[in-house]
Amino acid sequence: MIDTEQFLSFLSEQGFSLATGVPCSYFKDTFVSLEKSKEINYIPATREDEAVGIICGYFLGGKNGFLILQNSGLATIGDALTSLAQLYKIPLLMFVSYRGLEPDADFPEHLVMGDVTEDVLEAYQIPYWILCEENWKNTMEQALKVMKDSSLPVCVLVKMGVLSQ
Amino acid sequence: MKGAEVIQKLNEYLTGEELIVSSNGNVSRQAYNFLPQPQVYLRGSMGLPVSIGLGLAISQPKKKVIVITGDGNFLMGLSSVTTVGFAKQNNLRILIIDNESYATTGCQETVSSALNYGEMVKGMGIESVMSIDLTKEKEMTSDLLDQFVNKEELQVLHIRVEIDDINLENIPWHPIEIKENFQNR
Repeated sequence: MIDTEQFLSFLSEQGFSLATGVPCSYFKDTFVSLEKSKEINYIPATREDEAVGIICGYFLGGKNGFLILQNSGLATIGDALTSLAQLYKIPLLMFVSYRGLEPDADFPEHLVMGDVTEDVLEAYQIPYWILCEENWKNTMEQALKVMKDSSLPVCVLVKMGVLSQ
Repeated sequence: MKGAEVIQKLNEYLTGEELIVSSNGNVSRQAYNFLPQPQVYLRGSMGLPVSIGLGLAISQPKKKVIVITGDGNFLMGLSSVTTVGFAKQNNLRILIIDNESYATTGCQETVSSALNYGEMVKGMGIESVMSIDLTKEKEMTSDLLDQFVNKEELQVLHIRVEIDDINLENIPWHPIEIKENFQNR
């Protein structure tokens, strides 16, 4: 597992000062660290598309934030991505839990979205990376470079055990 | 009174420093035509003007942020209003122009007429709420918009209006231009 305090410090150093989204248990430890963080403010959202709106508004005011959501939320944010973030070219970093893989065999509610998660991201034309404990900084630097160069949303998929025990 | 007339009236109380987020369709076209430019004019993302306004208000705490939204748009993003009640961002104001219809798409009915906006919004944790019906009263009291713009607290102003009889052209700026013009203001 990645040290979540180090992970958030890295994001803070990269200029992120706000987080919002809808929790997933895959991010449980990340949320504990977020609550402690003095550099990154967290606002709970009621829906994932609302969280996209908050981060886009925050960006229009000149600051950067990131999103945390479960992959179920990828189904909710379609219009927020296509007719806001992508249409206005707003850079958006999304951490999306990759539910519905082997560890979720007993959670049928995640299985269909687990099967189509990468297809959905490809259909939305959103570049994505799968975060691993090894070389996580490299992965993040690549994702952030693409986000900044394109001024568009990017997605970092997070499997079980990577950002929470 | 009609929605466009409320937006024109609002203009009399603005200093030009306010940051305004307007909902997609007629409301953003009216904001583009009748209020100081440039602002955040939404073309899509129905249901999100309140959350965009919240993010902007957190980002720019010294500026007043005014969200102008139609009733259909407001209702689609209703749960985002609860987040506003939670976040209690004092520099944020929400103006709901309520004509009880999806006017941009041909005046189909919304569910707005079932609601008591004052009680609903107060119940969401926003204490300063005003609700007036301008289909019955012809004029607004003069201090209503003044207070809405200038009082230093989180506010919601709900105004029931008649459906507009003007048709404005689409905003000529591409959304990327809308963003860039706003960033460079």
